[in-house]
Amino acid sequence: MTLLSNASALLGKELRTEFRSRELLPTTVVFIFIVIALFSITFHPTTSESQRLGPGLLWVAFLFAASLMLQPCFLREQNNDTLSALRLSVKDPFAIFFAKLAANTFFLLLTELLMLPFFAGFFNVHILSVFPQLVLVFFLGSLGIAIPGTAFSAISAQARMRELMLPLLLLPLLTPVLIASTEATAALLEPNPALPLAGLGILIAFDIVFLTALWLFGEYLLEE
Amino acid sequence: MLKTILGAAILFVLIAFTAYLAFHYAPVEKSMGIIQKIFYLHLPSALSSFVAFGVCFYANLMYVFKRQPKWDWLGVSAAEVGLAFISVVLVTGPIWAHPVWGIWWTWDARLTLTFVLWLLYISYLLLRSMLEEPDKRALFSALFGIFAFLDVPLVYFSIRWWRTQHPQPVILGGPGSGLDPRMRVSYLLVWAAFTGLLVLLLNGRYKLEALRASMEELRREAEVQ
Amino acid sequence: MKNLDSVLAAYLAGWAIFFLYYVSIARRMNALREEIERLKSSLHRSK
Repeated sequence: MTLLSNASALLGKELRTEFRSRELLPTTVVFIFIVIALFSITFHPTTSESQRLGPGLLWVAFLFAASLMLQPCFLREQNNDTLSALRLSVKDPFAIFFAKLAANTFFLLLTELLMLPFFAGFFNVHILSVFPQLVLVFFLGSLGIAIPGTAFSAISAQARMRELMLPLLLLPLLTPVLIASTEATAALLEPNPALPLAGLGILIAFDIVFLTALWLFGEYLLEE
Repeated sequence: MLKTILGAAILFVLIAFTAYLAFHYAPVEKSMGIIQKIFYLHLPSALSSFVAFGVCFYANLMYVFKRQPKWDWLGVSAAEVGLAFISVVLVTGPIWAHPVWGIWWTWDARLTLTFVLWLLYISYLLLRSMLEEPDKRALFSALFGIFAFLDVPLVYFSIRWWRTQHPQPVILGGPGSGLDPRMRVSYLLVWAAFTGLLVLLLNGRYKLEALRASMEELRREAEVQ
Repeated sequence: MKNLDSVLAAYLAGWAIFFLYYVSIARRMNALREEIERLKSSLHRSK
């Protein structure tokens, strides 16, 4: 299918760009690490407080990091004037978005998983027994952040004050992702962990709704 | 000038009418007492704001597909007017809640949804102020508006699920339970009056935006010379 | 009557918001009309 082959070619480009420049991942990882450490220092939580507050703080840290990490997504194209070339290279503009959001989801997920051991250490929670389920929650949550994040990166690239506009547009919209991911993570970190089906359901619904919206309206987001 | 005074007069009439209904015609509620009367302002404002945001969503869709400026004008008007109504909801709600629940605020489904909606449409208006070129402003704010509106059911259901995990204050004697017929009439008539208010404000704001568009055109003409 | 001041506060605040918003629209309208007159007269002069 042309869409998939175009998207995978573009995804390859996105990944290669990052692994060559190595600007995005290291900075994002260090940023989240600092935020989590600061939360831990400020709140100095006991074990029971960590159970209650930890997941929320973790996902707030992820949201802040994503707001920064998603900035260059379309800004890079605009600064280098490559957006029109990109649009001409594919028949279906959704391929561009699909590639970018796949790359963004991958980078976000990688960062989150790298942070998990430090989170477990600072907040004294047990993650090994529920690791696969946590990966699932992190994946669905990261996808939820990346889909509107990629779309709004295209919008904010056109606006003034773009560094502030992206979080301003994105964070209120991500309320369902924040709530569902936090509660799902909390459910998995409890002494008797249970698979949080309702939370996963909300995340899946969110991902489907906004992926569809991006598919329907993506081409307009690329207009110059 | 005359139109402005006429509009203000209509506004006063609407206020007087709803105040009469709420305070004189409708009986005092049994369990809550007089504080229940805030609902005659609170509920119709909430309903009207949803209507306004629905109109905004429709206008956003129409603009993306048709690209006629009038849809952009309707979109921003509906968003601003909706924001006015929802601000009334956010102000009157806590004033009611404090004597009744003992707290100003809580994150239950309805309150969170109202708050997030308020934030989303503030972002919508801020985005517009950060986009200078009229065509870009119209298109990108419309696209954001569409995404924002799609979020609404998701916000509501995510909090509703969360709410079953954490106990929330129970809403005492909701206004829908066993309504006195005079109360029902009052609610309906007040809501009709608020719909009139919505139309009045929407119309005024739309005309403002249309005027702004012609001013920008004149300005471009003046710059060319 | 208990809570009467809350009810009055709510109604005052609510209607104040609507009234202030209406006034803001009227003001912006006047400012625009003045600007349009100014632009029209400057265009007229330069012609």
